[in-house]
Amino acid sequence: MKLHVRLVAAAAAVGLVGAALAGCGSSGGSSSSGDNITLGMVTPLTGSSAAIGPYMQNGAQLAINEINAKGGVLGKQLKLDVQDGACDAKSATTAANKLVSDKVAISVGGYCSGATLPTLPIFNNADIPMIIPAANSDELVQQKLPLVFLINGTGTQQANAAMKFIKKEGVKNVALMDDNTSYSVNIADLTEKLLKADSSGPKMAIHEHVTAGESDYSSNVNSVVKANPDFVYWTGYYQEGGLIIKQLRQAGYTGKVMVADGSVDAKLIAIAGNDNAQGVFATMTQTPDTIPGSEDWIARYKKAFNADPGPYSTQAYDAVRVAAEGMTNAKSTDGKKVATALEAIDGMTLFSGPLKFTADHTLSAGGFLILVVNGDKFDVQDQLQD
Amino acid sequence: MMQLIWSGLFVGSFYALVALGYSMVYGIIQLLNFAHGDIYMLGAFIGFALLAAVGGIPASMSIVALLAVMLIAMVGTGMFGLVLERVAYKPLRNSSRLAALITAVGASFAIEYGMSLLAGPNPEVYPVQLSGESFTVLGARISPQQIILMVVALLLMGGLTYYVQRTRSGRAMRAIAMDPRACLYMGVNVDKVISLTFFIGSALAGAAGVMAGAYYGSITFLMGFIIGLKAFTAAVIGGIGSIPGAMLGGLTLGLLESFGAYFLGGQWRDVFTFGVLILLLTFRPTGLLGERVTERV
Amino acid sequence: MSTESPQSPKRSKRSKPAKDSALASGPYAEVDPPSTWAVAAETEYDKQRAPKVSYRQDSLATRLLNNRQLGWVGFAVAVIAPLIFVSTFAVGVMTNAMIFVMLAAGLNIVVGYCGLLDLGYAAFYAIGAYTSGVLATKLGWPILLTIPAVVVGAILAALIIGGPTLRLRSDYLAIVTLGFGEIVRITANNLTPITGGPSGIYGIPSFSIGPLDFNPVKNPHTFYYLVLVVVALAVLATSRLGRGRLGRAWRFVREDEDAAEAMGIRTYQTKMAAYIAGAIIGGLAGVLWGMKQTAVSPTDFTFLYSALILMAVVLGGMGSVPGIVIGAIVISALPDLMTGIGAWRYFIFGVLLIVAMVFRPQGVWPYKARERPGTRRGGPTEGPYDESSGTSAEVTA
Repeated sequence: MKLHVRLVAAAAAVGLVGAALAGCGSSGGSSSSGDNITLGMVTPLTGSSAAIGPYMQNGAQLAINEINAKGGVLGKQLKLDVQDGACDAKSATTAANKLVSDKVAISVGGYCSGATLPTLPIFNNADIPMIIPAANSDELVQQKLPLVFLINGTGTQQANAAMKFIKKEGVKNVALMDDNTSYSVNIADLTEKLLKADSSGPKMAIHEHVTAGESDYSSNVNSVVKANPDFVYWTGYYQEGGLIIKQLRQAGYTGKVMVADGSVDAKLIAIAGNDNAQGVFATMTQTPDTIPGSEDWIARYKKAFNADPGPYSTQAYDAVRVAAEGMTNAKSTDGKKVATALEAIDGMTLFSGPLKFTADHTLSAGGFLILVVNGDKFDVQDQLQD
Repeated sequence: MMQLIWSGLFVGSFYALVALGYSMVYGIIQLLNFAHGDIYMLGAFIGFALLAAVGGIPASMSIVALLAVMLIAMVGTGMFGLVLERVAYKPLRNSSRLAALITAVGASFAIEYGMSLLAGPNPEVYPVQLSGESFTVLGARISPQQIILMVVALLLMGGLTYYVQRTRSGRAMRAIAMDPRACLYMGVNVDKVISLTFFIGSALAGAAGVMAGAYYGSITFLMGFIIGLKAFTAAVIGGIGSIPGAMLGGLTLGLLESFGAYFLGGQWRDVFTFGVLILLLTFRPTGLLGERVTERV
Repeated sequence: MSTESPQSPKRSKRSKPAKDSALASGPYAEVDPPSTWAVAAETEYDKQRAPKVSYRQDSLATRLLNNRQLGWVGFAVAVIAPLIFVSTFAVGVMTNAMIFVMLAAGLNIVVGYCGLLDLGYAAFYAIGAYTSGVLATKLGWPILLTIPAVVVGAILAALIIGGPTLRLRSDYLAIVTLGFGEIVRITANNLTPITGGPSGIYGIPSFSIGPLDFNPVKNPHTFYYLVLVVVALAVLATSRLGRGRLGRAWRFVREDEDAAEAMGIRTYQTKMAAYIAGAIIGGLAGVLWGMKQTAVSPTDFTFLYSALILMAVVLGGMGSVPGIVIGAIVISALPDLMTGIGAWRYFIFGVLLIVAMVFRPQGVWPYKARERPGTRRGGPTEGPYDESSGTSAEVTA
């Protein structure tokens, strides 16, 4: 008797699993067939970077809606197939395999270099071009895979911009802080190299690594303050960035602070506290906030998703547009033809400026400029044009 | 140097508060409650929801408001702890301890991602935060809000010690930790006391969550994960199952981190603390204040 | 299909304290089963225990489950599966699941057989993946030649961490292994010149034998079969180990360390052997993982991953080889299959874990002691020895 109760319970549990799987089957993407062209996106929806995924997803979806409203591409409607990459390699490769099986035409995702690197051969083998909007590590293009394109600035470009501004500011001791993830370490290490190469310029006071996801960075802040810098460059994301700015100020640091593009978000100012955040600089590509006349884009985004755009919304938006342009120019969805068409694009207007890929398939102009926190938003401080 | 000690003690008092719940639950039913850190997160979010709902609290009232919110959040997380124990742990009380460990990890996933679905994956900013001008004592920068939080943490820990040492149900708790069967013979309502333990442990974690929100200002659905691991570490350093051990362990861990980060750099901090932990356990296998019990045979 | 024993097990069991190891014991390790506590507890207790005596009168299902041929059936299913689900995605999920089975089989030796709670098992996986990956990419070794290095590395790591800590009580051992796992991961993250830092290493090669090219990207099916063969061998090996002399010693140590010591088993060496065996299998699984991913990075080896492997072992049924195979497949494939539903996937996963454990605390397919005298073919048996040993196996499994 008793066993029967258990069997029923076990059956119920199995049923639940089945239901869950069925649910996922129906909500998963469908293949590019008939009237649709599917674009794939691997982006974190769970795990420590879960906040970024929806920004990228919405940005891409907005571009797709707009393109579809104008009649789509090659007479077909675009669709977006989003899979969770969780910023870890296992999830990302599984997600990439899922997209390949769903027969997406182009991948417009990619976030976290460590998770994106193992997906390169998967897409490449399936002849699916990748337009990577939000992983910036130089290792992505070092393999020189013919179908891989980066449309956000690389770490090298960002570090160069940071160095240029640091020298302009005439500071003496620079502290670098990263969060020990690949994106962040990449920028900080490259900046460190530039600082050390320039013996007459500013010195590097300290290079501190923090652990992402914590609340208390006072021990790291202590080390930084002790090194007595007059400029701190934080290369991680806004959540930790906000906390670090706040805790630096509490620890009595009065010098300048600059953050990298992953920290450019209104939440940075909210977390740091408005007073603490005033005058904080940021290395950033062009954003709707900084391009005159693009309030319209922000309004469209807000209208579509009832939320503010965030980090990498614009890059994801541009990735879809570049993908559409590539397919239109190639008059095909064939991966190799699209790649050739992408290489030929010259002067298409993106948020980061006119698009022209280098031989490495990165942006020819990194388009990095310096923003500054003013009130509760970021303004342009310096276009770094000279 | 003083600065390192002070920041270590301050962070350590958070660890201690969370570690207490860990250690109490372990002491009484030998369960490593991996969902405990997520109760801390839950407390922070309950506090956030309350403050956001009330809105517009004048700065002069912020401490009172935060204390009130903290008490409500403590009751909320306490109740949640009760329910969690009933649903996920009680049915497994007679089974393998690892089975309960798995439900604890399962509960941890469910709470984290349930919150992510409810509140979104973005960090939230606490609407009311403690603020004040820092001042310097003996070379350490101290802020009034840090002192307030330390006092609250000390009061909570003192209250708990009093409760466990001096009251009837506290005595029942200690008795069950020693010998649950004898307690039953003596007419102690074991189930009730276990529930109570979960309530208190979870309430303390909830309090720490609200305090973290009010002090650091930003909360996310994953904030409990790392602190849960640290609380576990702290509880083990002190001797798992021992209440003064959890407090001492929390403070020790805070100090270890503070010094480790300073002398070895932030990226080696956790290697340093775990290395010290392994060495400590090699020479003192039951932690700083753990009882020298031999493994049951 | 009643499984109530013809003779009430309740009475006799009441008088016999359950023999538990610290790891496997319930919260009241030092007491009788709680049925003696109160009358109210009695019914609850019956509910818990009644089905567990099912071996006494082996039902059809039980006999099926005990069938030795079952391994072959499982293997056949694994061989046929990729022919039915041919997509790259499905084969990828299955390959992941197979590698995870190998990990679970390795951890099963440590936790299931020997009763050592290990929360940092991913460390050995990381050591295997990194050792082979670094040697293959930086020094250009053929991937197969890195295997001996991986074995040596895994053994060294097991000796270094196991040496001072295997005498610890289980929960302290748990945190030490957890700490070790974190130390390995953080070191991999920090030693950028060797390990590539947070981005890890990429471009890990595969190999080919004659016309068979085991390139995981180009020929996922071929690679799957390679993995399948390796994993099947590993599972078979752990199963053999578990049944042999050493396996009996492990179980003895798990059940009662002092008695084992008294019977002349060198418990420390026995535990060390389990730890090393587990480490080697974990390291080899790491080699497969590196080849499959063509890249490794520190995010693959977090504490969460160690916890997931442990979950596979407990969910399946500690010490039971078919159990952990099923557990591993479920734990690995379930989140993979739900990759399109975002945050829901871990929410559903968490709830299902609770449900599964609450209804099946002993695991999906618990281990049944085979050494029971005269009970192989069912039928009630007498005697205090049998009673306690049966109980013990049930409780621990």
